[in-house]
Amino acid sequence: MKLFTLIIALFYIVSSACASPELGKFERYQSLSRSIPIDLDDSSYEDLTSKPRDYHVAVLLTAAEARYGCILCREFQPEWELISRSWNKGPKPDGLKMLFTTLDFSNGKATFQKLMLQTAPVLLVFPPTVGPFAKVDDAPIRFDFSGPISADQLYVWINRHLPEGPKPPLVRPINYMRLISAVTILMGVLTLFTVLSPYVLPVIQNRNLWAAFSLISILLFTSGHMFNHIRKVPYVVGDGKGGISYFAGGFSNQFGMETQIIAAIYAILSFATIALAVKVPRIADSKAQQVAVLIWGTVLFGMYSFLLSVFRAKNGGYPFFLPPF
Amino acid sequence: MAETPVDALLKGNTGRNTRGLLRIIILVTIAAAAVSSRLFSVIRFESIIHEFDPWFNFRATKYLVQHGFESFWDWFDDRTWHPLGRVTGGTLYPGLMVTSGVIYHILRFLTIPVDIRNICVLLAPAFSGLTAFAMYLLTCEMSISPSAGLLAAAFMGITPGYISRSVAGSYDNEAIAIFLLVFTFFLWIKAVKNGSIMWGALTALFYGYMVSAWGGYVFITNLIPLHVFVLLCMGRYSSRLYISYTTWYALGTLASMQIPFVGFLPIRNSDHMSALGVFGLIQLVAFADFVRGFIPGKQFQRLLTAMVIVVFGVAFAGLVLLTVSGVIAPWSGRFYSLWDTGYAKIHIPIIASVSEHQPTAWPAFFFDLNLLIWLFPAGVYMCFRDLKDEHVFVIIYAVLASYFAGVMVRLMLTLTPIVCVAAALALSTILDTYVFASRGPSPQSKAQDETSAEGLRSTRNPVVGISSYLSKAVVTSSVVIYLLLFVAHCTWVTSNAYSSPSVVLASRMPDGSQFIIDDYREAYYWLRQNTPDNAKIMSWWDYGYQIGGMADRPTLVDNNTWNNTHIATVGKAMSSREEVSYPILRQHDVDYVLVVFGGLLGYSGDDINKFLWMVRIAEGIWPDEVKERDYFTARGEYRVDDEATPTMRNSLMYKMSYYNYNALFQQGQAMDRVRGSRLPAEGPQLSTLEEAFTSENWIIRIYKVKDLDNLGRDHNSATAFERGHKRKRATKRKGPRVLRTE
Repeated sequence: MKLFTLIIALFYIVSSACASPELGKFERYQSLSRSIPIDLDDSSYEDLTSKPRDYHVAVLLTAAEARYGCILCREFQPEWELISRSWNKGPKPDGLKMLFTTLDFSNGKATFQKLMLQTAPVLLVFPPTVGPFAKVDDAPIRFDFSGPISADQLYVWINRHLPEGPKPPLVRPINYMRLISAVTILMGVLTLFTVLSPYVLPVIQNRNLWAAFSLISILLFTSGHMFNHIRKVPYVVGDGKGGISYFAGGFSNQFGMETQIIAAIYAILSFATIALAVKVPRIADSKAQQVAVLIWGTVLFGMYSFLLSVFRAKNGGYPFFLPPF
Repeated sequence: MAETPVDALLKGNTGRNTRGLLRIIILVTIAAAAVSSRLFSVIRFESIIHEFDPWFNFRATKYLVQHGFESFWDWFDDRTWHPLGRVTGGTLYPGLMVTSGVIYHILRFLTIPVDIRNICVLLAPAFSGLTAFAMYLLTCEMSISPSAGLLAAAFMGITPGYISRSVAGSYDNEAIAIFLLVFTFFLWIKAVKNGSIMWGALTALFYGYMVSAWGGYVFITNLIPLHVFVLLCMGRYSSRLYISYTTWYALGTLASMQIPFVGFLPIRNSDHMSALGVFGLIQLVAFADFVRGFIPGKQFQRLLTAMVIVVFGVAFAGLVLLTVSGVIAPWSGRFYSLWDTGYAKIHIPIIASVSEHQPTAWPAFFFDLNLLIWLFPAGVYMCFRDLKDEHVFVIIYAVLASYFAGVMVRLMLTLTPIVCVAAALALSTILDTYVFASRGPSPQSKAQDETSAEGLRSTRNPVVGISSYLSKAVVTSSVVIYLLLFVAHCTWVTSNAYSSPSVVLASRMPDGSQFIIDDYREAYYWLRQNTPDNAKIMSWWDYGYQIGGMADRPTLVDNNTWNNTHIATVGKAMSSREEVSYPILRQHDVDYVLVVFGGLLGYSGDDINKFLWMVRIAEGIWPDEVKERDYFTARGEYRVDDEATPTMRNSLMYKMSYYNYNALFQQGQAMDRVRGSRLPAEGPQLSTLEEAFTSENWIIRIYKVKDLDNLGRDHNSATAFERGHKRKRATKRKGPRVLRTE
């Protein structure tokens, strides 16, 4: 095995020596960094991407410093390092040379201007111009970031533009810290639970608590909370006259606050029902009972009428209503 | 005077019989109401199968009736998914077809000649009557109040949430599945209550039937174990629970494995692992419970409990390990997307593209359930009052199903039964309290006298009943108003929203008369009568089943979306330039291409509106050749007018939709009424396809794929030549005239 690598290394030296001294660039840059992407500036960018090249080079043009306020750039930085590390550590097909580099805006203003880049980050992949994998069209392939993207997605994209053959897999390092802390927290919780069980158990076994928990989740779900969560709707929207419109127009549209109002209406209606069905018959004083029935009955009627009026506003042709609203 | 005969009827043994009779009459009336409210579409239009999937079920049922069960089981269908074909017998849930087949043969045996189509059309309403009855049984298990069951049955009969999937003509799996769901749950509750093997086995039997009928059986597969698990956590282990669960699991799993489509999934798929896990857990608990009887020592008991927990934990870890290592298949995509709501959009666009898989906004809940939606939490609260085993079931079902219904519109269907149960529990409590004219303890008060300290806070005091007639009158009359409003709402919703076959569209003329738009059938019958029997039709997958059912022609893709790549191929052909599409069409033997275009009529469910999904699905497979970004203008708008991007305007779909559309209008006045935009003055040109048929309102347009050019030219230059034919001839006539012989 060692002999083999030695031969390959020798072969490389010989071949590079035979071809041209210019093509030693790959080894030179390769040695600059062990596994993380190489940081470039304007001059080294020019040098690296100039023809002839016998290697692939991927340049991430980014603006990671905090003062540029590019959240996407900063979020993607560790992912980019992950790609580079996986590539450099994994087994590669023979002769396929690939460099992962980063050009930050603070080091490469001239390059950004030359490429007329308005946004960052942008990924450019330069194919080789000489060697076995050379492409006729040596223009770089460009990848525009349209939103947050994971290393896996970008790696698939890069691999598609590389020649056929086995590629090193993307390896995410196991986050031992997280694993250990998770185990520790789990054990801590278990211990705490065992120690505190005389105090905690009555709370857990409390029927009122569970009832409240179930009712709240049912109210949340039936008032369209999941829709807000999935579609990321705005909480409220101005009506264009300086005020706030609480209810979205249209049957399949809603705002965050709207769903909370609806959940509150449902809750009031439900509690009025519960009061009428469960609490009122248990009031011993008949006067008080009479008053309670009238109050809850009115609340129920008024709220239902309001709910119907809201629904009519959402659904134009709806014909039914109850008097007050 | 009149009171004496009534008294004689309502008291003692006769009273019980009278009430039983009354109950039966009421139930029959409810069933009749349930059936009749689903007949709007038959009365308004005709006895016709609706929508998309039902057309496949109908076609499969016809095959079953014609060729018999054996060949249905082995059916390889070479008229769909051309050129792949589909092993239909092994990839469908046969319950629905077999049910209607059996009904058909029974009716034939009784010498009642009925067309199989009418059985299919009326199957869903008939089963909704049965669902109402099953709902009565289920609710009666939950409550001692005699009115709860009847109320629940009535709610279930007419609530739009269930009607939406069971009107006459909507011949889909859900038509029988909801009945089976409710009835299986009833049997399960019965089994838990009695701890009898018979009820457990019956549960398994109906569970097996459910598995054969609908993919939603997974809901039962997970809900019953969850019920058992929660009961175990509450320390409510009993031999009743053990007997009913183990019986159900063993027999039910065997039964479900008989369906070829399900096969070994129950032991190989994560969706089913909770049932297996709880099966293991209950064995451990049973063992511990058994040993506990012999060892009185407290320390020992602790050890035993710890052992159970440890073994369970180790088994759970093993399960996770098996899943990671791939022995057990991970969660299926549809199921997984319920938990991780962003999953489908990124990984499986074909799931996200279906409109039933969108999340539910609150108006949809109110639209489908009306007043039940606010009675529902109240009813769940009532369940906490007694909190017997069956009430735990209601609570779990309620919370889970409301989550699912919030994530996906179509799962409103599984929420509806439990909403009806809970609402009936709440309303029956109110009615029992307020309707009785005489003062005094209502019938349920005795049962609640022994309220324990651990009960709900609101039920600590003893029940005294309602004293004044005014209160009774106020509450009773308002409840009656709400119920009348509910009935009106349900009828209105059913008649307006859920009774359209969507194959035939109806609209109103300015004078109020009805205008029937029958373009779909017109086009499908054109195909049936004017094309060879094995002409391959390419269309987007939505219309595959309808083409197979109504036009009886082979299709490339259909609504059984099992092969994403094949669908993406069609998407690519639709979204690429003609030069790219034509080879694809040739390779797949396509003879005709069908598109749906709503621009003339303002029909918004057309292909241009679905087009982005075709692009997205194609992009998933060929990211280099099809890019969603190219179909949006620089400002990120999706347009079809002058500003549409070149990629958009050169795509086959765009060309086919707007080809010759200009001719309908004056120069430069062509309007697309769906997108509300004016089209370019110059219409698109087609060179590889030719228009074969356009329906009356332009909803369906069919194009014939041209054969290869006789002179070996490519189609583009051939059409260019033909278009410029005369002009060129006129200018470039050189040389002597030659006699042309044809």
